[in-house]
Amino acid sequence: MTTLPEMRTTFARPAGGSGRWGSILLTAVMTPLALLWLAPLALMLLFATLPDSSIFSPTLPAPGTHFFANVAALAGSANFLRALGNSVMIGLIYTVLSVLLTSMAGYAFARFEFVGKNVLFSLLVATLTVPYAVVVIPQYILIARELGLSNTWVALIVPPLFNSLGVLFMRQSFGGLPQELLDAARVDGAGEWRIFFTIAMPLVRPAIAALSIILFLASWNSYLWPLLVGTTPGARTAPVALGSLIGLNVVPWGALMAGATLMTLPMVVVFVFLQRYFVAGITAGAVK
Amino acid sequence: MKTTVAMRPGFAGRALAATLLAGATLFGGAAHAADDVSGEITVWSWNVAAAALQAVVPAFNKEYPNVKVTVQDLGNQPVYDRGLAGCAAGGTDMPDVYSVENGEAEVFWNRFPECFSDLKTMSADEGALLAKFPAFKLTELTVGDKVYALPWDSGPAVVFYRRDLYEAAGVDPATIVTWDDFIEAGKKVIAKAGGNTKFVSTNGDTSWFRMLANQAGCAYFDEKGESITIGQPGCVQALETIKKINDAGLFMSGNWDETLTAIKANALASAVYGGWYEGSIRGNAPDQSGKWGVFKLPAFEKGGNQTANIGGSALAIPASSKNPKAALAFVNFANGRPDSQITQLKASGLVPTLPEAVNDPFVKEEQPYWGGQRIWEVVLGTLPDIKPSRGTQYFAEADSLVSAAYTNFLKGQGGSAQAVLDDAANQIASATGLPIAGK
Amino acid sequence: MAATISPSVTTSRPARAGRGKPIDRQWSVPYRFLLPYLIVFAIFWLWPLIDSFLLSFQNTRVNPWTVDVAVNWRRLWVDQAFHAALRNTLIVLVLQVPIMLALATAIALALDSPKLAARPLFRFAFFAPIVVSDVAYSVVFRLLFNGQYGAVNQALTAIGLPALDWLHDPTWMMATIIIAVTWRWTGYNAIIILAGLQTIPKDLYEAAAIDGAGAWRRFRHITLPLLKPVIVFALVLSVIGTMQLFTEPWLITDAQSSGVSIEMLGTYLFKQGFRNLNFGYASAIAYTIAAMAAAMAAFNLLLARRSPT
Repeated sequence: MTTLPEMRTTFARPAGGSGRWGSILLTAVMTPLALLWLAPLALMLLFATLPDSSIFSPTLPAPGTHFFANVAALAGSANFLRALGNSVMIGLIYTVLSVLLTSMAGYAFARFEFVGKNVLFSLLVATLTVPYAVVVIPQYILIARELGLSNTWVALIVPPLFNSLGVLFMRQSFGGLPQELLDAARVDGAGEWRIFFTIAMPLVRPAIAALSIILFLASWNSYLWPLLVGTTPGARTAPVALGSLIGLNVVPWGALMAGATLMTLPMVVVFVFLQRYFVAGITAGAVK
Repeated sequence: MKTTVAMRPGFAGRALAATLLAGATLFGGAAHAADDVSGEITVWSWNVAAAALQAVVPAFNKEYPNVKVTVQDLGNQPVYDRGLAGCAAGGTDMPDVYSVENGEAEVFWNRFPECFSDLKTMSADEGALLAKFPAFKLTELTVGDKVYALPWDSGPAVVFYRRDLYEAAGVDPATIVTWDDFIEAGKKVIAKAGGNTKFVSTNGDTSWFRMLANQAGCAYFDEKGESITIGQPGCVQALETIKKINDAGLFMSGNWDETLTAIKANALASAVYGGWYEGSIRGNAPDQSGKWGVFKLPAFEKGGNQTANIGGSALAIPASSKNPKAALAFVNFANGRPDSQITQLKASGLVPTLPEAVNDPFVKEEQPYWGGQRIWEVVLGTLPDIKPSRGTQYFAEADSLVSAAYTNFLKGQGGSAQAVLDDAANQIASATGLPIAGK
Repeated sequence: MAATISPSVTTSRPARAGRGKPIDRQWSVPYRFLLPYLIVFAIFWLWPLIDSFLLSFQNTRVNPWTVDVAVNWRRLWVDQAFHAALRNTLIVLVLQVPIMLALATAIALALDSPKLAARPLFRFAFFAPIVVSDVAYSVVFRLLFNGQYGAVNQALTAIGLPALDWLHDPTWMMATIIIAVTWRWTGYNAIIILAGLQTIPKDLYEAAAIDGAGAWRRFRHITLPLLKPVIVFALVLSVIGTMQLFTEPWLITDAQSSGVSIEMLGTYLFKQGFRNLNFGYASAIAYTIAAMAAAMAAFNLLLARRSPT
């Protein structure tokens, strides 16, 4: 499949007059629920623009102009902007590497027969059922203690590269490619790598886009692993830096909300424009 | 000067140089040594303790102009966590000077004996300096004959109170002699104050239990750290007393940050904590100057012990420090000199432990923030009667177990105080392998 | 033959032309593609999986570590703190997951319904949380549910209800975490269920409507059974996630300082493994989590298979 599974967005007009009442009822029920769901993010944005004293006031204040002051407060103690930068760099590098590795693996599973294929594939699928908790401890021992690689790019990027769902997704995508196309290239004498990069990958661009978004999001939001191996202020990622503010003498709530906003708003904007890619990535494993 | 002499070739030259060096050290060596000591050092600490160390830096630099000191306020828990992680990783990512709470310190020396330097080996005079400190501070910093940290402050507990709120309710703190008096006073004060003013905060941790238990002569472990004593009568009495305070509706349940916020908002009438909390109140609610005072802990019964210790820290030097000389110079300067300890007292309310500092005239001064009361006389006056307690290397685990039991007990679960504490003792026993005292 | 021949791969004619995968490729080619991923898998997944298992049989509180087959496993049995963490986790699981899945299904149905107006707005409202970091929303919820000045308590007192001790009382802490996790993940599950809904052929509904089946009966006999695989998938993912829940209890309650908090399996594992550095015990806890999650997943799959459509 070279296109993304689309979510249906248009509907036929319902038959009968009851449709109008049903529509009003449904919308009336859903609206308070939706408002409740929007509230946390809306309040986060609101509080990010206010000084701490206004955040505590009993009545709901109007949006203020304190946003940049709050961000400035972040820059000092938690070095949050540096952490944001780290998150961006790590996210980008991780996404590129991970897409590459999972695509190559998915391609191998999709387009080749080889010894041990089924065993390996079953192993891969089986890993989906094992919780992260099981592997994180030895990962930590290996990276932090035995190799002494705490607070390095390698530590923050390499271990999370393992991603079975990504492999499954890419395998699915590559599986839909027409064999003749690839064979024709082989007949023309193209090497396997050239075929992969110049023919196969471009054909599954939508899938790569979806996978990239999901992977970047996962890296951007990741907390436990960077908490363990990114301890010095210079090596922290945004979530770790944000979380560290909770332990301070007096919690700077305005700054915290501003930090949460800085972390969240870009991703929300991306989401609004690229929603179908998110959806495609999420539904990848669910609906076969 | 010395170096040019030392560079003269020949045995005679070297012997001369050695003699001159020895002479320099024996006679006023400190002045010369100060010029030697140079470089940058990083200090990890938290909250007002970090501020206190920062306050000492200017005087330190007058004597050691070539040392650049960077004090980092990382927060209490992160300093502990990163220290453990750093030691576990073999001494990576450690500062030059490390703040550690007395009660939590033993895990470091016992599990990672190579992680910190034995102060006695770092300088010939160190032993003499260490001997000046009271024994109860040194116990948890010593393993065998090695001392891993220099004592810093201690935490004699008192009640900090809002004069105006007590007065409005007609309560005179001089009449609060027992915890029952405290409870009666509390009811009056919050009845008069109204709103959502509470009498005192739980501090969001086990500090109340540890303070009152210490007051009653009980602790999680015995003084040698060899058995579990949390089920002893003193601890039971402490827990029951706290329950009474809780049941009287006097508590505000809040953690460190929430408590300070409530204080700032005039929503809290008292605070029960170590003397070092003085700096936190004063620093966070400067506009309430003159409205606060202190009085001694109420006793369990008339005439009983009114002292307890909560907290108190020390400064250690990781073995991985690249600048141990500068680090030691700073540590000795900040904690080993009475004037530095008084500087820290003035800055952050850190209670000195050096006997000479305790006798400083500042202690007898009236403190304007505290309504002109000589609070430090009150606070330091409790020092001699404080009973020692031992953290042991298992403190963090034990405290975690106690925290859960303590919270549930206050909610009315788990049975009697004795039952809850016996249960906690069993849990600690199975977690640590230590025996329960008396069993 | 073409001029460019990759030196590492021999080009040979495919065994047969047309569809199908030629089998006589040099065997190493697929492995070349697979290798980088396999290396990462072996070092950072397979080896840790085995090592964790081995660690659980070692006493890691002594220096150096010794092999002691029962020390950690026996401790799990008697450790009340572990039992409390397990209890809290299971309570959250049993309450949160069904509520969330029911909500997700309802939202998915609503979003799938042609009767809903302003659909993009509703989608945004429910789906936006999926991009929010665990840390970001945890700190927001910590503020909103603050006992003294949080928005939730202020709203409650405004309508005359008592303020609740959301962040310090054991019962209400659990409620806060359940609410938080539900807010965060309902949209995610709604997406999955919605995708499942949209694979159900519409003519099934039409046929049933012609036969006179009302909306509720159509739902019970067509929608639910056909949704079952998708819901089970969402269920399994949710169970695995909740069993390991870490960030929310860690940051919303005071689990990271030794304050009053909700201990859950995730935070307990963190404390044992990365505070007390008791890796052996933490590994035993991790494997217990894994075993329980696997058992629950298997149970759910069995249930799904039991009742045929």
